[in-house]
Amino acid sequence: MLSFYTFALFFLSLAGLLHAKSSDGDSVLVVVEEAQQKEFTLFFDGLREQGYELTFRGPKDEKPAVVEHDVPAFSHIIILASESKNFAKDITPQALVALLSGGSNLLIALSQKQTPMTSLAAEFSLILPPPNTPLVSFFPERKDSPSVIPIAAPASSLILSPKMSPIWFSGVAHALGSNPLLVPILNAPAESFAADSEGGADALVDATEKGGEGLWAGSQLSVVTGFQAVGGARVAWVGGTDMFSDKFMKKEVSKGVQSGNAKFARDLTAWTFQESLVLRIDSTTHHLVNSTTPLEQYTNNDNIVYTAGISRFNPKTSTWEPYSGIKDMQLEFTMLDPHIRTALPAVPGSPGKYSVTFRAPDRHGVFKFVINYKRKGWTHLHSSTTVAVVPPRHDGYPRFLSAAWPYYAGAISTSVGFFIFSAAWLAGGSRENKKGKAKAQ
Amino acid sequence: MPTAFPLPSDLSPATVSNTASLLRIVALALISGAAIASRLFAVINFESIIHEFDPWFNYRATRVLAAKGFYEFWNWFDPTAWYPLGRVVGGTVYPGLMATSGVIYNLLHALNLPVDIRNICVMLAPGFSALTAWATYMFTKEMKDESAGLLAAAFIGIVPGYISRSVAGSYDNEAIAIFLLMFTFYCWIKALKLGSALFGTLAAVFYFYMVAAWGGYVFITNMIPLHGLVLILMGRFTSRLYVAYSSWYVIGTLSSMQVPFVGFQPVSTSEHMAALGVFGLLQLVAFTQLVRSHVSSKQFQDLLLIAVVTTGLLGAAAFVGLTYAQKIAPWTGRFYSLWDTGYAKKHIPIIASVSEHQPTAWPSFFMDLQFLIFLFPAGVVLCFHQLRDEHIFVIIYAVMASYFAGVMVRLMLTLTPVVCVASAVAFSSLLDTYLDAAEPEEEVAEASGTAGTPAVASKKSKKAAPQAEAGNAFTDIVAAAASAKKGDSPKVKAIYGLDTRLAIIVNALGMLAFFVFHCTWATSNAYSSPSVVLASTNQDGSQHIIDDFREAYYWLRQNTPETAVVMSWWDYGYQIAGMADRPTLVDNNTWNNTHIATVGKAMSSSEEVAYPILRKHDVDYVLVIFGGLLGYSGDDINKFLWMVRIAQGVWPEEIQEPNYFTPQGEYRVDDKASRAMRESLMYKMSYYRFAELFGGGPATDRVRNQQVPKVGPTLDYLDEAYTTENWIVRIYEVRKEDLLGRDLKSANAFAKGKKRKRSKPLSRRRALL
Repeated sequence: MLSFYTFALFFLSLAGLLHAKSSDGDSVLVVVEEAQQKEFTLFFDGLREQGYELTFRGPKDEKPAVVEHDVPAFSHIIILASESKNFAKDITPQALVALLSGGSNLLIALSQKQTPMTSLAAEFSLILPPPNTPLVSFFPERKDSPSVIPIAAPASSLILSPKMSPIWFSGVAHALGSNPLLVPILNAPAESFAADSEGGADALVDATEKGGEGLWAGSQLSVVTGFQAVGGARVAWVGGTDMFSDKFMKKEVSKGVQSGNAKFARDLTAWTFQESLVLRIDSTTHHLVNSTTPLEQYTNNDNIVYTAGISRFNPKTSTWEPYSGIKDMQLEFTMLDPHIRTALPAVPGSPGKYSVTFRAPDRHGVFKFVINYKRKGWTHLHSSTTVAVVPPRHDGYPRFLSAAWPYYAGAISTSVGFFIFSAAWLAGGSRENKKGKAKAQ
Repeated sequence: MPTAFPLPSDLSPATVSNTASLLRIVALALISGAAIASRLFAVINFESIIHEFDPWFNYRATRVLAAKGFYEFWNWFDPTAWYPLGRVVGGTVYPGLMATSGVIYNLLHALNLPVDIRNICVMLAPGFSALTAWATYMFTKEMKDESAGLLAAAFIGIVPGYISRSVAGSYDNEAIAIFLLMFTFYCWIKALKLGSALFGTLAAVFYFYMVAAWGGYVFITNMIPLHGLVLILMGRFTSRLYVAYSSWYVIGTLSSMQVPFVGFQPVSTSEHMAALGVFGLLQLVAFTQLVRSHVSSKQFQDLLLIAVVTTGLLGAAAFVGLTYAQKIAPWTGRFYSLWDTGYAKKHIPIIASVSEHQPTAWPSFFMDLQFLIFLFPAGVVLCFHQLRDEHIFVIIYAVMASYFAGVMVRLMLTLTPVVCVASAVAFSSLLDTYLDAAEPEEEVAEASGTAGTPAVASKKSKKAAPQAEAGNAFTDIVAAAASAKKGDSPKVKAIYGLDTRLAIIVNALGMLAFFVFHCTWATSNAYSSPSVVLASTNQDGSQHIIDDFREAYYWLRQNTPETAVVMSWWDYGYQIAGMADRPTLVDNNTWNNTHIATVGKAMSSSEEVAYPILRKHDVDYVLVIFGGLLGYSGDDINKFLWMVRIAQGVWPEEIQEPNYFTPQGEYRVDDKASRAMRESLMYKMSYYRFAELFGGGPATDRVRNQQVPKVGPTLDYLDEAYTTENWIVRIYEVRKEDLLGRDLKSANAFAKGKKRKRSKPLSRRRALL
C-alpha cells in the first residue's frame, strides 16, 4: 500500500512537472471564506502543482474583480463558500451565468442551507431536496455519522480515472431534471436518501405513504454533476465542500486504503477546467470530387467532398493533437430539414481528418453542411457552413436527347416537306400558267 | 360655296400637307415632352429614387445584369431570397425590362456617357411613355386619321391612369409593357389591313418583346384571337386575316416560348388555348374557302358548315378532356378571380390580400380618366358607324378592358389606352364637325335631301376620306338630335354660323384645359409618391420628409452581418433585399404560399410557438411596420388579418381568424383585444414599449384610434434592436438559444431575479390505480 501511495505522489509530482494546463487558461479564482481556506490545502496544492494560478477571495469581498473592462479576469472559478448567504455583486447567480456565456468554467459546491447557489442550481435543472436534509446512508456499517458516506466510483466513466478507491462524501444530493446538457459524474449509493440527519429513516416512511412522491433517494440521485453549457463552458456541481477537504482526502476508506478524494478532485477539476475530453473542429472544407477549391454554390447532383479536421486537447503537452477516435459522427446536408444525413468517418492514414463524399440532392436551395456532435462529457462539436445548390446553367443540360428523336424527325421532315412542296408549287404553278396562256391563245 | 369663317384659298395642296406634317411632328415632339415632364414630379418633389416594392427587385436584377452580363443574369440563382429555398431568378422573371435597361446602359457607356444604372432605371418609364404616345398615335391614325391620332397621343401622354404606373422611378414591367401593347396592336391592325406577313411578323416580334416584359401579355394572346374569331363569325374572313393571324401566331408563339419563365405554357395552359384554337379554326375556314371556290353546291356548303361546327365542338371537347387529364394546366387562380370577384377571397387569400387586386371603386375611374370616361362610349359608338375590321378590334378591346378594369384595380392600366383611343376618335370627330368651315348652300342642300351631307367638302375632308366619313357620322348624330328637337324644321340639318361653332369649341377646349389641370394635379399629388419616402406637411405649409424606411434598411445594412436573415411580411421583401441587402424569408414574388403562410403563422402565434419557426429558418431579425405613432395606415397591424388568413389556409387547426376578433366581432388593439391578438408576435412587436412613449398618459394608436393598454406587452424571445425616428419600422433581434438549455421565458425571469418554484424529482413510478 505504501508503494501505491508513493506511486500516486510520484505521479502527482510528475504531473506537476509537466505543468498540465487547461485549454482555457490557468487563472483560477477561489471564492472561499478566509477561515476555511486552511481546510482545503491539499486540494489547492494539487491545483497549483497542475500549473494553475490561484487567487483567493472572500464571498463578500469586492476585490479582485471577476470582470475587468468587460473581460473576465479568470478562466475558472471555484466557489467553496457554500454556506454564505450573500455574495458580492459580481458573483451573484445572474453574474455567474453571464460569466458562463463568456466561457468561464465554474466549480460550485452546494450546502444543506438555502443559499443563492441553491436557486442557481435550479436553473441548471438540478432538483435539490429541502434545506437541512443531507444525504444519509446507513450502509456500509461504519463508525462515522450516517451523513459521511463512502461512495464507490463508477465502474466506467469518461471523466474519472479507472480503479479509483471509494470517495468520501458529505453533503446534499440532487435529483437531475430532464436537461440534456447535464453530465452525471458521481451518483449517490443505492441505499442513500436525503433526510434530516437526526430524523433517521422517517423521511422514507413519510414518502412511502405518499407513494414515493418527493423522495430524494437511491442511485438516481447525483452528488457530483457536470453541466456543459451551450457555449462550451463547463460547470461542476458538488454536493458539499467536504469532499475536497484535507480531512476527507486523508481519511482511509478501509484499513490501509487511502480514499479516492484527491484523485477524484483532480479528475473533476481536469474535466471542469477544460483539460480532459476537449475537442474542437479545426477546419471544414468542401469541394467537388476531383477538385480542391471550395465553391460558393454547387449544382444539383454534384458529387461533393466534405472534410472536417478535428483535434483533441492533450493536457500533458498542452497542445491540440489531431484526433481520429470519433466513430459515430454524422454530417447533415440541411435545408429546413436534413436532405442528406450520412456518417462522417475518419480517414484512415490521415489523423484528425474526417471525410465523406455524397451526391447533392436534386433540389435547389440554400443548404448547410451541419456537424452536430453532442456526447455527454465531450465538448459539443457544432459546425455549419452555408452553400447554395443551384439548378444547372442554361448550357448545362444535355444538348440532344435520344428520347426526343420523334420531335427532331417531325421538325426535319416538315422542313424538308415544306421545301419540296414550295419547289414543286413554284415549278408546277408556272407550267399551269403557261398552259392557261396557251389555251387562251 | 359659303363658309362660316374665311379660309385662305391661295394655298397649294402640297404646302398644306407639308405644313400639316411639320405640325404633326412638332405636336408629337411636344406631346412626348409633356409626357416625360409630367412624370418628373416624383424626382422633383422627392429625389431620383426607385419607388414602391416590385421596382426594387427589378432594379436589383438590372444591376446584376449590368454588372455581370446577360448570361450570368439568366443563370442567376438568388440565395438571399426566399431563404432558405432560394429563387432561380433567371427562370422566374420577365427579363424584358432589365434587358431593355441593360441595353440602354451598355449603349450609353459605349458612347462614353457614364450614366448611373439607377438613373436609367428611374427614367425608363417616362422615356417609354413618350414612345407609348407615339404608338398610340400610330394606332389611332389607323382608326380615324392623324388628328385623332394626335389627340390620342396627347391623352395617353398625360392621362393619370397611365401615369400612375409610369412616373419616374416606377421601374416596373408596366413601364415598357403599355408601349409594347399598343405597338403590337398597331402592327396587328396594319397586318390585318394590308394582309402583310411583314407586319404580322413585326406584331409577333413585339409580342415576343411583350411576353419577355410583362405577364399581362396574356391580354394580347387573347385579344388578337378574339378579334380574329369575331371577324370569322361576322363572315369577314379574308386571306388578309389568314396571313396576318398565321404569321403572328406561329412566329409569336415560337418566340414567346424562348422566354424561360414562359417555357411551354403557350402549348400547355388554358390561357393560351384560345389563340391555338383560332389558329386551327382559321386553317379550317381557309380550307373551306378553298374548297368552295372549286366546288359550288348548296348541300356541300351545308355539309361543310356541319363539318366545321363538329370539328369546333370536337376541338373544345378535346381541350376539356386534356384539361381534365392534366395535359393542359387549368386556369390559374388569378384568372378565376377575373370571372368571380369573390373567388380569390374564398380560395386564395394571398391574391386577395394585394390591394391592387381589389375591384375598382367608381371614383377611381374618374380620377384616372377624367372627362375621357364619358367620351369613351361615344368613341365606341362612332366605331360602330363604320365598323371596319380595325373598329371591331377597338370595340372588343373596349368591352374586355372595361370589364377587367372593373374587376381589378391594376387592370385599369389596360383600359386606359383604349379609352384614350376611343375618346380621341370621338373628340376629333366633334372638332372635325365644328371646325369645318363649310356650310351647305340652300339649293345643294335641297338636292342632297335629308342626308345632311355637306355637298362641298372642305379641303381638309378631301385630304382624307375616312376623316370625312367619320365627320359625317358625327354630323348624323348631331343632326338627328337637332331634328328631334326642332321637329319640322325646313332647314337642312347642318351647322350654321360662327356662334354655334364657338359655343361647342370653347366648351371642348375648356374640357381639354380642365383635363390638363386634373392630370397635373393627380400626378403631382396622388401618383408621384415613391412610398419609400413619405411626405407630410408642416404647420407652416413646408414639406416634411419621413424617411423611416430607408433609415431602418440602412441600419440593417450597416449593423448586421451580411448573412443575417430578416423576416418581415412579404410586402417588404424586395425593399429589404434591395436597400438592406440582407436575405429575406418571403418577398413580393409570392410564388410559395406555404412559405408565406409560415411567416404568417410566426407573426400570428405566441412567442413560444413562433420561436422554433424562427430558429428553424435561421431568422436573426424580424422587421415590422408600425404606423400607430404617426398615423401611417399601411402598417402591419392593418395587414395582420391577411397574415392570419393565409396562415389559416395552411394550418387551420392552429390559427383561426375569429380568435383575433373580440367576442363582439371587432378588430381591436386596446385592452379589449382578444387573447390571441394580444399574445401574437405581431401585436407584441408593434406595441412593445409603445405606452412608455406617452409617459403615463393615454397611449393612442393613431391609425386605429384606440388606446392601447398602459402596461405594454413583454418580449422574451426577441430583443428590440432598432426603432426608427417615427416608429414606422421596428426591428427585433431573435435571441439565441439559452446557454443553459432553458426556455427563454424562464431564462428571462431568472435574469430579472425572479426565483423559480422548487421542483421535486420526477416520479419514476406510476401510481397504481
